[in-house]
Amino acid sequence: MTDGNTTDDLADERASLVEQVPERRRIAIAIVGAVFWTWLLARWAYHNALLDVIATALGFPDLIRSEVPVLVRQGWIPGGPFRAVADAVAGVANALGPADVLLEWLVWLADLAAFAATIAPKLADGAFITVYLTVVSLLLGLVIAVPLAVARVYGGRVLSTLSLGYTELIRGTPLLAQLFFLWYALQLGSVARAIGFTGEPPIPQAAAMVAVVGFTINSAAYQAEYIRSALQSIDAGQLTAARAVGLDMRGTIRHVVLPQGLRLAIPGWTNEFVYLIKYSSLAAFITVPELFRAAEGVGSDTFRYTKVYVIVGLFYLALVLTTALAMGRFEAAVSIPGLDSSGNQE
Amino acid sequence: MTLLELEDIEKAYENEEVLHGVSLGMEQGDVEVLVGPSGAGKSTLLRCVNRLTEIDAGTIRLAGESIHDLDSNDLRQRVGMVFQDFNLFAHRTARGNVTLGLEEVLGMDHDEAVERAEAHLDQVGLAEQADSYPAELSGGQQQRVGIARALAMDPELMLFDEPTSSLDPELIGDVLAVMNDLAAEGMTMLCVTHEMGFARSAADTLTMLDGGRIVERGPPERLFENPQHERTESFLGQFTDFE
Repeated sequence: MTDGNTTDDLADERASLVEQVPERRRIAIAIVGAVFWTWLLARWAYHNALLDVIATALGFPDLIRSEVPVLVRQGWIPGGPFRAVADAVAGVANALGPADVLLEWLVWLADLAAFAATIAPKLADGAFITVYLTVVSLLLGLVIAVPLAVARVYGGRVLSTLSLGYTELIRGTPLLAQLFFLWYALQLGSVARAIGFTGEPPIPQAAAMVAVVGFTINSAAYQAEYIRSALQSIDAGQLTAARAVGLDMRGTIRHVVLPQGLRLAIPGWTNEFVYLIKYSSLAAFITVPELFRAAEGVGSDTFRYTKVYVIVGLFYLALVLTTALAMGRFEAAVSIPGLDSSGNQE
Repeated sequence: MTLLELEDIEKAYENEEVLHGVSLGMEQGDVEVLVGPSGAGKSTLLRCVNRLTEIDAGTIRLAGESIHDLDSNDLRQRVGMVFQDFNLFAHRTARGNVTLGLEEVLGMDHDEAVERAEAHLDQVGLAEQADSYPAELSGGQQQRVGIARALAMDPELMLFDEPTSSLDPELIGDVLAVMNDLAAEGMTMLCVTHEMGFARSAADTLTMLDGGRIVERGPPERLFENPQHERTESFLGQFTDFE
């Protein structure tokens, strides 16, 4: 109850992230996003074990290269030309003396591009796990969040207190502490290994499964809050009308409340999606080789920490912006004719 | 046949008494209009009949059976209700508003429900708007969808809770026309309304409610022309002055 307003405010803020971007810039994001995702999907496909099996069976044994270890994977975009530009500009900058800051920035950027081209295959591999963790946890979390939110709003005293207790416990403790609790205290990793999550492609490794469990539990609590506030914003008159027609509470929730409440929850839900993309980096601390850990690995191999974190930051930014854009499209696609996204008449 | 019988209905919210010993009976095919100042308990009385509100004491019988012996959802299938604020399901088309009850409450299959919904939308003059969403309809159209939604369940009794009070004056006529048609077809109707023209032309009985009690009840002509109580005279007088 106490944070009802803040979650609503957050949802509004989140919704505005992409909505308020002018159309031309939105198209620019879409184009950059399309290039990024095409590259990312192609990279994933190129090293996917499952696709390799299929391609080999179809008679193309060399099409998919899942056997290449992550550390020796080669990029498709050559770093050489960027390196050459960097060297050339550096030569000019040196000739001009220490005064030319602008040129040094150009050297830095060209060098960054060259470095990005070489480490991109490793980051693509980490990004796959990041996306996997986020999407799976978000969807599993949604499955838990819907009953939690319904219990909170319509569950009567016992169920709504239980739901509230869960939500407050999860939202009141750090996500990293929750992950460590599952990983170190409950030793969920060995349980996951015992039931077959060995990490042999295409089976995910035990740590990734533990991360999915942790993120699901955590995300369910946040999603439940967004859904709860959406459910509560539905006009009570419609519930009365549903009852007056003879629908019971279950039917009313299923056919009247949820179809509208879930639509209204999309902006808040998009927020949670975006958060989870970024917070999934905490899985690095329980050894999951996701995007952030892949970047850390590159950093400790090359000691070029500044550039690594700039590049991985751009990866996250690309993931987040394309997600927000896609969710905006989704929201528009499922919107109720004649109503805006907050359910008011246009 | 007596369709609806109310006997000594008592209802209080917290400590505030809303209905105090209200009794009335309606024959099948009767049209009864409840009038009275705001706070008189008119809407509460209506909501007691389909158990959206539970009474504290008294008996309500539908076709001779106490409504508290019925499952409330079964009762509500037999008693249709139309609301002041329409209360349409915002995410469903006009047709979808009507089919929801047919499919989920009556268990009709989809094609049959659609056919019946379209027939009832046609009946209220909205055949063309079947695919429109509530937010795309005018208030008068929304209210007619609300009436079609209730009628499609094939109720024995229809409750109207100020069906025209949220409408712009020029839209009231369409809704009243539908209600007049229904009355002419012999539907039993219990209406809370301030439309005195409708009360005069369509009602068999006019009931004046004040402070949770029935002040006066009888044929509309008598209450309008020759009220027995000063309270009725002053209340109805406000409307006749306009007309």
